[in-house]
Order: sequence, then structure tokens, then C-alpha cells
Amino acid sequence: MTAAAIEKNSFVLLQLGKRRFGLPAAIVTELAPPVKLHVFAHQTPMVAGVIMRRGRIIPVYDVTPVLAGKKLPDRRFYLVASRKIDAQDELSAIPVDGECELVTAELFPSPEDSPKYVAGVLSIGEETIEVLDFETLVRTTTAPAVSNGANPQQLGPIA
Amino acid sequence: MSITSPDQKAQKRVRAKESAILFTISGHPFAIASSAVHEIRSADSLAGSAMEIAQSGVTKVKHLVHRGNRSYFVVNGCAHFGLKTARPTLVLILRDSPVAILVDKIERMTDIAEPNPLPLAFEGEERRWYRGLSYTDDVIMPVVNPAGFLTRHELRALEEALHASRAEAHAELSGTVAQ
Repeated sequence: MTAAAIEKNSFVLLQLGKRRFGLPAAIVTELAPPVKLHVFAHQTPMVAGVIMRRGRIIPVYDVTPVLAGKKLPDRRFYLVASRKIDAQDELSAIPVDGECELVTAELFPSPEDSPKYVAGVLSIGEETIEVLDFETLVRTTTAPAVSNGANPQQLGPIA
Repeated sequence: MSITSPDQKAQKRVRAKESAILFTISGHPFAIASSAVHEIRSADSLAGSAMEIAQSGVTKVKHLVHRGNRSYFVVNGCAHFGLKTARPTLVLILRDSPVAILVDKIERMTDIAEPNPLPLAFEGEERRWYRGLSYTDDVIMPVVNPAGFLTRHELRALEEALHASRAEAHAELSGTVAQ
């Protein structure tokens, strides 16, 4: 297998609630520890706040209601991934419940009734794991931005 | 090829500082450049001189206050930022725009790091509200854009409403005198 093929078939498995999801390893930058989530007033759906990581301010998308149907856990790690917005690269983070795992596996097409944010599925052992389309996921709106009108003390600080 | 000394690199990493007023609205922290604020007053002290503005369509502005020879539209900070209603106690009167902001509390005045640009992930009105985000004393807070409280359209609507209510008052007064 060539290096390009290995990269194409490399995925980071993340834990959210009782489920595991995959993200293409090529876009994942790091798994950040449970640092403080800074919350301020804004109107962008899905964005919960920002974290400071290695001197950079990184927006955090609260994807847990979409993927796990629950609120943000009190203590969580952040999976940091890169996105292209308006032709510029920017880091974004999503909260995850714990350790992540790097796997190499073949990506199969997702079933027709899958949500739009599912880019495909991995078959690992007896488990079928949905691979997320990060860009579509962070644009999936379920509710107004959590920070608007909320008390920041209820949402953070975390660490 | 350019050679940069470690000292030069360190200098580049140090962000410029600016004097700012840190305040809260509905429990949320904000910063504003001190140079953008002309005066801070208690909301009660302005209550007597405030003129009500009716039916402007700009729901976050209900009053106009006069300070010296200038007038300021009083913007409710909670309504502007879409936050839970709180009881504002202070008014920040801005220097270069006809705007005064109702806020809950002034935390302190301090030097803050020059704001980082707002991440592109933020796509809402906040792009107009904020100059950027500043990381100061382990807190990331938005630095408000003094020109972002009222759009040109809102200012025009307020001025028209003000003009209409003045004309109405003038007509009433003329009617009273004629009688």
C-alpha cells in the first residue's frame, strides 16, 4: 500500500457517549486535554465557545446533540481538526468523551438513509463506525447557539 | 534568505497592548478600548434627562440622552447581544458615535493584548459586533467594535423617529398656543 493510500484509509476514532465515530486522520491536528471553554455572546449556530491551544484561539463546535443526543459533558477532551473556510485554513474543535484511536481501514459508502454528515462507514471487528464529514457536521443545525442567553457559569469553565 | 535573531522572533510574538475597560452584560464578559469611551455614568443619573423614542423599529433603543451639546441613542446591551434581560446599572457613552450602551457592571480598566481576529467559524452578527478576541488573564473575551452597535440603517430609522416625535410635539405645542 502506498503512503497516499495509507493516509486516505487512516481514520481517528472518537468516543461520544456510547458511540464511536471516525474522522479522516488527514484533517485531525491533535487531541487536546480538557482545557477551559471560553463562552461569549454570538449568533453562530453550533459554536459553543472557544479554547486556547498552543497560543491559538480555536472555535469549539458542540456536535454532541447531533451525534449523541445530549448536552456537552462536564469534562471533555477536544479533537482539533483543520477546515478550509473562504480558502483559508482554520482549526476547529469538537468535544469528545475520551481517548481516540488511530486505525487504518477501508471506507465503505454509507447507507442511503444516513444523515448528510456521514461520509461513509468503517467495518472494524463487528462494529460499523460512521465516518463524519466534518464540514457538513459543523453546519448541521439542531438548535440556536448554546451561548446566546445562557449563563456562562453553567457552561464553563471546565478546567 | 533572511536571518531573524531569537530576540526579533520573541518581539514578533509579543502582541501590542491597549488600554481597555472590561465590563459585563448578563454575566458575559466584554472589553472595549478605553479610547472609545467618552464617559461612564450611572443609568439612574441619566434617567431624568432621557427622552423616549417611540416606534423607530429599533427595539434595542428606547431612549435618547443629551450630554453637553451632543445626543446619544441608548442601546440596551442585553437586546443588542441577544442575552437574557438583566438590570443595567451603568451607561458607557461612546466618543466617536452617537451611542451610549447600557451595561451591568464595570469589572476594571486594564491593558489587554491586541485582539486576535475573530475565527472565521463565527458567521453571525458577531462579525460586526466585535473587533476580535483578546486573551487576558486566562480569559478570552470579545473586544467590542464601537461602530458595531447601530447600523447606518438603524441610525437613520432612529433619526426619522426622533424627527417625527419632535414634529408631533411641535404641532401639539402650536395647537395649544393657538387655542
